[in-house]
Order: sequence, then structure tokens, then C-alpha cells
Amino acid sequence: MLVTLGFALVTASILALSAVAFTLEYAVTNVANVSHGEILTAGAYAAYLVHQRTGSPLAAAVAAALAGGLVALAMHSAVIGPFIRFGASPTVVFIATLGMSFVIQNVLVIFFGAANVAYTLDPGAPQQIGPFLLTPLDVEIIASAIAITLALFLIISRTKFGKALRAVSQNRELARVTGINATRVAASTFFLAGLVAGYAGFVLAESVGSFNPYFGFGFFLITLTAAVAGGLGRAFGTLVGAVMVGLVLEFAQTVRLPGGGYVSASYNLAFAFAILAIVILVRPRGLFTNARRTVFE
Amino acid sequence: MSAYLVSVLSEGAIFGIMALGLNVIWGWSGDFDLAYYGYIAVGAYMTLVLTIGPAVAPAHYILGLTLPYPVAVVVAVITAMAVGLVVGSIALRHLRGIYFSIVTLGAVYVMYVLAGQYVPLFDGYNGLSGLFDPMGDWFGFDYLSYQYFFLGLSLVLFALVFLFMWRISGSRFGMALRTLREDERAAAAFGRDIYRLKLKGYVLGAGLGGFAGALFAAYLSAFNPSAWSPVEVIVLYSAVLVGGRGNIWGVALGVLIMGVLVQESTRFLPMVPGLGQLSTLHPQVLLAMRGVIIGLVLVLFLRFRPQGLLPERRYVDPQPSLYIAPQTA
Repeated sequence: MLVTLGFALVTASILALSAVAFTLEYAVTNVANVSHGEILTAGAYAAYLVHQRTGSPLAAAVAAALAGGLVALAMHSAVIGPFIRFGASPTVVFIATLGMSFVIQNVLVIFFGAANVAYTLDPGAPQQIGPFLLTPLDVEIIASAIAITLALFLIISRTKFGKALRAVSQNRELARVTGINATRVAASTFFLAGLVAGYAGFVLAESVGSFNPYFGFGFFLITLTAAVAGGLGRAFGTLVGAVMVGLVLEFAQTVRLPGGGYVSASYNLAFAFAILAIVILVRPRGLFTNARRTVFE
Repeated sequence: MSAYLVSVLSEGAIFGIMALGLNVIWGWSGDFDLAYYGYIAVGAYMTLVLTIGPAVAPAHYILGLTLPYPVAVVVAVITAMAVGLVVGSIALRHLRGIYFSIVTLGAVYVMYVLAGQYVPLFDGYNGLSGLFDPMGDWFGFDYLSYQYFFLGLSLVLFALVFLFMWRISGSRFGMALRTLREDERAAAAFGRDIYRLKLKGYVLGAGLGGFAGALFAAYLSAFNPSAWSPVEVIVLYSAVLVGGRGNIWGVALGVLIMGVLVQESTRFLPMVPGLGQLSTLHPQVLLAMRGVIIGLVLVLFLRFRPQGLLPERRYVDPQPSLYIAPQTA
């Protein structure tokens, strides 16, 4: 039970990083970036390649974040930004980013093959920390997730850039009228979110132990659940949503089935989507708002 | 005609039926449905469990009957429509735009995980196999002549589906679906029952997907989770988009371009200087290159020619009411 809670905390921290990054991307553009998962994948590949050459986990983490940031920036400047300026509807951008996700996955297959790449750091011996049984690596992941979230919170709430970000997310046109360069704010936000998501890809690859070109897309589906549950575009709601979804997913595996045996982890995705469908149908604006739902979402 | 060409054309005809079904949901009704490949899979799986006979240990799957192929196809189509009815009645009631897409994406992943992991259903990861040359022994075809028979069958069925879609395209139902795509509020104001209409269109599309899946099962003679993936639907979307969303002639053209030409031309990619060495790295490279091309074409068409190569004809009122020009002083 406590072991599960330890795992759940790790899953929830990684999910929180990915989901907050996704929701920031949503906040400044009002469109869902379906190729968000590929930022994580790019982070994992960059970390692996750099780690192989330098042998330093810190360099790997920095490389993952940078790769994620650059990929996200490229997505915004090459696809999402032009589509928005062209006046495309959110659904059209959704389709376009899905297409990009397909392209990036296949490009990765061309260069690295579709097979799983094994990638683990030494987790160290598990220790009893408070009520949880955690390895030093787990502790590092959780601590870094908390630190990054705090940093994001400070950036969004205390800096001038954060103020511009909030202005663009609330009303893009009004923000532009007051002299904010909305495109530049959106691009910077994508870069920032990419840094976080790239790092999330690195720690996710670590904690899973392997990755492949499709690995980010699978995690994106869970990210989406967390972000929608918390409210798309709301950074702090998303954070709570991510922790909840992370806990639910890990606990689902400890539930004993009527016929004996446990629910396999391979059903995780199906579980996440069952939660997602229920949330969208009952509280489409997220769990933490009382906004009325509408047919014309 | 080489055996290779026969195989490609049969697959193209099946792909065409899939695209025509998707065109009902996305082209006319206007919903970006990501669950569509799930209905194709349901059709294929059901056809197999209804025709290949009881499971031999260690394989497990439901039913395991030995029905004649055409009967199995009918049951498979009905099953696909039933699954489409369940998904559609949940997803279409209140959701539009990306929320609809997300819920259908969820639905298809639930189907994919169930088919791949829940062994008693369709034998999990191993999948089903053993449907060899259905209806071949009725006419006493040998292996080679059966390939021609199957090509003829697929083309005739594609033509029939095309004709059916052509009739629906100009019918009141087809027009009403397009109205929903353009302006739901206006359609509701004119007394259309939006939800029922959309659901009808959705179930029709799911049925066509299931039908194509049933043919696909006969073409592949086996079906398993590595033979399909929910993301595969992007290829179908690219075909509908490139040809002309909403126009069945366009859809047919799109299938010819994306399904047959792109599929075939990627075989020659290794002859392009520089790419040749890359393609010797590992076996998935060709397939991945095809994926890159299809994805890029999809994005570029969305951006620069969203109406496709053969745009849908805009309907004009043949008997417009008298237009009274505003009086100018």
C-alpha cells in the first residue's frame, strides 16, 4: 500500500510537469497541441544521446529540457502560430498538430528505429521516508517536480512576462491592444513549456526504464486526462488534476478483481480515458469550476 | 496484370470504402472522429471470430463459429454499428469540436487496449487468423484466380457503396447533415433534430467502417493489434482531405492519390540519392517515410487547400425567391 503511494507520487509528479506544460500551451493559444507528447519523446532521446556521450545525468537533464524547448518553439512557429494567424478553428489546429505528431514519430522511427531503447539510472536503495518507501532517484524526481512547479508559479504570478502570459490567455485581442506582442508571448510560453515537458520526458523515460518513438504520445493521452480534469488552460487546476489522475491510476492497479488477481498496468490508458470521458461529460470545464456546460464547446 | 498490382488495387478498393464511411462522419456531418479505425477493427475481428471456427488451445476467443462469409459480414457490420451507436450516443449528445475528438480518441483506445490485452475476447496480442479465401471453394477457384475474384469483388462492392453514397449525397438526409456541419443553430431553428441526425450519420459511417473491416479481414486473412493502430485513421483523413472533404468524387480521387499512389511511390524512395543508405538501416524505414509524407501532406493541405483538389459543390437554390433590392435614394 505504502509502496504504491510512493510510486503514485512519482507518477503524479511527472504527470504534473507534463500536464502543466500542456495547459500553458493551451492557455496562450486556445488550441490543444496534440503533438505535445512528442516534446517528451524529444527530451527522452536528447537525454539518452547526451548521457551516452558525457555520462552525466545533469547534462542529460539539461539536454532534455533544451531539446523539449526547441521542439516546442518550432511547433509554435512552424505550425500552430501560422494556423492561428490564418484564422483556423481550434479543431483544424487539433488535426494539424495530430498530423505533426504523426510526422515527428515517423521521423524518429527513420533515425532511431521503432524498437524500445533501454535507459535507466541507478535508483539507489529504497529508503523509508516518512510513511513512504522511496528510492533516492524517486526523491530527486519528486523534489525537482516541486521545484519546477514553484518556479513556474513564481514566473506566472510575479514577473512581467507572467503578467503578459495571463493577459494573452484571458483575452488575446485586448492584450494586443495594450501593446503586448501576443505572438512573442505565446512563442516564449511554448519554449518555457517545452523546457518543462522535455525534462518530464527525461524523468519519465528514467522511471519507466525504456522509451521508443511512440512513448510520448501514450503519455500525452494521460496528460490530456489530467489537464481536462483540472480545467484546460488553468495551470493550478491542472496541477491538482494531475496529482489526482496520477494517484487514481496507480491505485487502480492495487484493486483486487472479483475473480482474484489485479488489474494489469496495461489497462492504464483505458482507465485514464474512462475518467476523461466521465469528466468531459459531467464537468467539461474541469472539476474545479461551476461554469455551465454548452453544446457548442 | 501482375499479382502485386491485383493486391494493391484490392486494398485500394477496401481503403475507398473506409474513406467513404469517414466522409459521412467528417465530410458531411463535420465531426473529427478519432474512433473510426475502431469500427474497422470491430468489423475485421467479428468477421474472423464468426468464420474461423472454435478456438484451439492455447488460443482463446469468443464465438468461434463457422458461418458462411457473407452472413459473417452482415453480423460484423451490425456489431460495428452497435458499437458506433454506443460511442456516438455518448459523444454526440453534448460535445463538439475538440471535446468530441478527445472522447472518441478515448473510446478507440479503450477498444484497442481491450482487443490487445483482454485475451478471452480476440486472443489478445496474438490476434486471429485463418480466414483463407472466403467463398473461394464455392466457385472452385485456385489461389491465383481467387486473387482476381477478390479484386473484382472489392471493386464491385466499392462501386455499390459509391453509388449508395452518391444517392445519399443529394438526398434530404445528406443535405441535412451538411447543414449541421455549417450551422447547427440554424438547423435547429428549422426544426431539425440535431442529435438524432448526427447519430444516424455516425452509425451509418461506423457501419461502412465495419463493412470495410470485414473485407479487410478477408484480404489479410488475419487481424491482430500489430495490424492496426488508432493513429492509422490519419491516413484515411489525409485521403478525404486531399481529394475534397464532402465530395464523394473527391474522396475517390483522394484514395487513389494517398492510398494507391503514395503507397506505391514510397517503394521507389530508396532510389533517391541520399535516402538509399537510410533505408537499409532497418525494415520500418519505408513505412515511416510514408508516414512522414502523409502527415506533411495533411498539414499542408489543411493550411493551403482545406477544400481539397475536388471541392464540394456548394448548393445553390435553383428557384431563389424574388430579391428586392434595397431602395437607394
